[in-house]
Amino acid sequence: MTAFILRRLFRTLTVLIGVTIVVFGFVRLIPGDPAVVMLGERANPQVAAAFRERLGLNKPIFFNFAAPADTQFVRYVQQLSKGDLGQGIKSQIPVADELRSRFPATVELAIGALLFALLVGMPAGIIAALNRNKPLDNIAMTISLVGVSMPIFWLGLLLVYFFAVQLPWLPPSGRLDPTINFDSITGMNVLDSILKGRLDGLGSALKHLILPSIALGTIPMAIIARITRSSMLEVLSQDYVRTATAKGLNQRSVILKHALRNALLPVVTVIGLQIGLLLGGAILTESIFSWPGIGSWLYQGIFERDYPVIQGGVIFGALVFSVVNLLIDISYAFLDPRIHYS
Amino acid sequence: MKRIAISAALALSSVAFAAGGTLVYGSGGQPVSLESGNITDGNSIIVQRQIYDTLVDFADGSTKPIPGLATRWTSNKDATEWTFTLRKNVKFTDGTPFNADAVIFNVNRWWDPKFEFGYRDSGKTYEIWGQLMGGYKGEASGFLKSVTKVNDYSVKFTLTSPVTVFPDLIGSGYFGIASPTAIKAQGEKYGTPASKPVGTGPFVFDSWKTGDRIVVKANPNYWDAKAQVDEVVFRFITDRNQRLNELRAGTIDFTSDLDPQAAKNMKNDAKVDAVLKPSFNVGFISLNVRNEYLKNVKVRQAISMAFDKKAIVEEFWGDIGTSNASFLPPVMAWANSKKVPADYKYDPAAAKKLLAEAGYPNGFSLDFWYMPVSRPYFPSPKDIAEAVAAELSGIGIKVNLKTKDWAQYLADRNTAPGFDIYMIGWTGDYGDPDNFYSAYYGPSASDDSGYNPKELADLLEQGKAAKGQAAKAKVYSKIHEITYNAYVRIPVVHSQPLGGKAKYVKGWVPSPLGSEAFNKITIDGKK
Repeated sequence: MTAFILRRLFRTLTVLIGVTIVVFGFVRLIPGDPAVVMLGERANPQVAAAFRERLGLNKPIFFNFAAPADTQFVRYVQQLSKGDLGQGIKSQIPVADELRSRFPATVELAIGALLFALLVGMPAGIIAALNRNKPLDNIAMTISLVGVSMPIFWLGLLLVYFFAVQLPWLPPSGRLDPTINFDSITGMNVLDSILKGRLDGLGSALKHLILPSIALGTIPMAIIARITRSSMLEVLSQDYVRTATAKGLNQRSVILKHALRNALLPVVTVIGLQIGLLLGGAILTESIFSWPGIGSWLYQGIFERDYPVIQGGVIFGALVFSVVNLLIDISYAFLDPRIHYS
Repeated sequence: MKRIAISAALALSSVAFAAGGTLVYGSGGQPVSLESGNITDGNSIIVQRQIYDTLVDFADGSTKPIPGLATRWTSNKDATEWTFTLRKNVKFTDGTPFNADAVIFNVNRWWDPKFEFGYRDSGKTYEIWGQLMGGYKGEASGFLKSVTKVNDYSVKFTLTSPVTVFPDLIGSGYFGIASPTAIKAQGEKYGTPASKPVGTGPFVFDSWKTGDRIVVKANPNYWDAKAQVDEVVFRFITDRNQRLNELRAGTIDFTSDLDPQAAKNMKNDAKVDAVLKPSFNVGFISLNVRNEYLKNVKVRQAISMAFDKKAIVEEFWGDIGTSNASFLPPVMAWANSKKVPADYKYDPAAAKKLLAEAGYPNGFSLDFWYMPVSRPYFPSPKDIAEAVAAELSGIGIKVNLKTKDWAQYLADRNTAPGFDIYMIGWTGDYGDPDNFYSAYYGPSASDDSGYNPKELADLLEQGKAAKGQAAKAKVYSKIHEITYNAYVRIPVVHSQPLGGKAKYVKGWVPSPLGSEAFNKITIDGKK
């Protein structure tokens, strides 16, 4: 087991180094440079050139044969080795600070979306499997097909239009009512308001969380529903389930005790992948709902060609994704005794 | 009975004068920084204006300079020495006294790359100072020669060349005066969400939740009109449709930079009002004289006559745009020439004739570039470009509509040979014609059209040195005539940025300069 984890950690490190090199090159391939974006209409050539020089963006990117150490990439790696992700070109705020302060918001939204996906997706999948090819199955699968195909921003705008503007039940965007203010402990408002005993804050935080969670959770919900259904169907046709049923155990205990546990394995894999994706920051959802997480920050960064922001955000996303996958693989061992890590 | 009546009257009167509450502003995004002199974006300026004051302020809704932290200012005859008399008994909200030393400290941070408290090593550039003041200390292009203390309440700026508009420059919203004590204590972090910016303004900075909101509280010791609300919350809502949704849902009280089409939605909503900010921009179409067809002035004139500006402005802006023949927004109409017609003529038949005279009876084809993003002066560039293109094809000019990524667009327009025809615009920083003309003519102009005669550069130099509106008007009306007759840049629109507010928000007077203090706003009747 230890050897396996070490091997995986080494692989993760390799992946991160690869991601760093690729993202560093790719952001500089995007047409347009940060100086021009920042200066906008004012970007006449002299002003833009002076600005680039001040930022060190006029140096060679990877290779400089005259002075090998004097390239943008070498400087960045030197910074990284000190644990410094640089600072945003536009905000001049250290990228690490931004990640720290925004990650809790992203985690909170990811949990909300995941809860929605699980609470709706799993029962839908189980019900569909148990009613195979009957109307209930068709309804559940049609909904999940629509869920997978619906563009997030469109769904987000529809949700806002109906539930925030037409029926003003829920706030259109943000995380907390403007008049409610308390110091954050974890940065997750739901948790903080409970810790602080602020009921008004809890209500407001939950209300703000509903629409973005639905928007972000719809695709995972649909995927989970489909995987649960097919995995459940496969398990239900296994010999041991038939035996259990033949032994006269009641249907419910067969499904819950025998079938479900085994059917969950592939579902866990999918959930793991989804968690990784969600924690990387949901770019579209966060932007639509002005959710101050990593996704909306990365979106701004891409738009503004803020190289350190894009690099930091992507590297961080890759790190989270790798770690979550590692944890999922380890949890397999506990779920399925047949899996050995030798 | 009498007592009841009196107490009722008292209660009523206290309601009538009860100020307070929370005012919520829907901001288009998070400020870049709350450090004065180190930003150029509107989202930063609007928050900074609440925390800081500037030496010179501007009259409500206009570009007219009025006393701010300086009570008066005088200059020598040729406008190369400016002396500002400072307001007494003003303190920064951390208790630091406001005086000449504080002003000089701030100026040195922006101007002097070697100043210890500028923290330039950490990547601060004070970009806007270089743009408005020509350059930094030690650079030949910068026109500030020195800043000196006359006494505790008087500061003298000495310039290398005459700049009659210096009070407008130093008073622009970028240059709020910050507390030296706070800057020294917080160092390079000053202005970031992790810091506590300190000024003398109508509000005191309270908190900044990254990506979410900034809260400022009323400054109880403000030297001018004290705030009518307890606090202002700036919520960052980047999507403009969402800002409109929030306004209509009642979760924000007022907001700016809405889509022009939102005016219709607000008209049908009993709870909100549309608010038109004074126009301080120009959106125009630029013709490149390096192009083989466009180098002929008759061709350019034909293009200017070929499309119906009035109809286009009516269609895409409705009430919130005006069309005229000037590069300057209507607030600066005093600098326009009487000899130039109010607007370009719309006459496709005459345009066709001109093309024939120029030797192109059957027309020709050109690339026409439009920006891929919405800007305040061109809210929907593609639609506008299509409308113009359709009219140009009517006189035989075949137009290939093109666009590319915004950053690339901005870079390529200035890279020779540039675009044949393209759309762009300008939003002003201060109320002087030079701020508009110098962006596109003269030594520091964009090099996008191949047209920049020395005659204009000389006139712009004279304009900077001219004292008083009458003298300036003489110079700028000449510039107006030359540029109008060149047909290189065809002004299409001066648009009024669209804001919106709840009905109960009173006393908000948007400034053409992009930021105004919120100290006179009341929200009586807000639930």
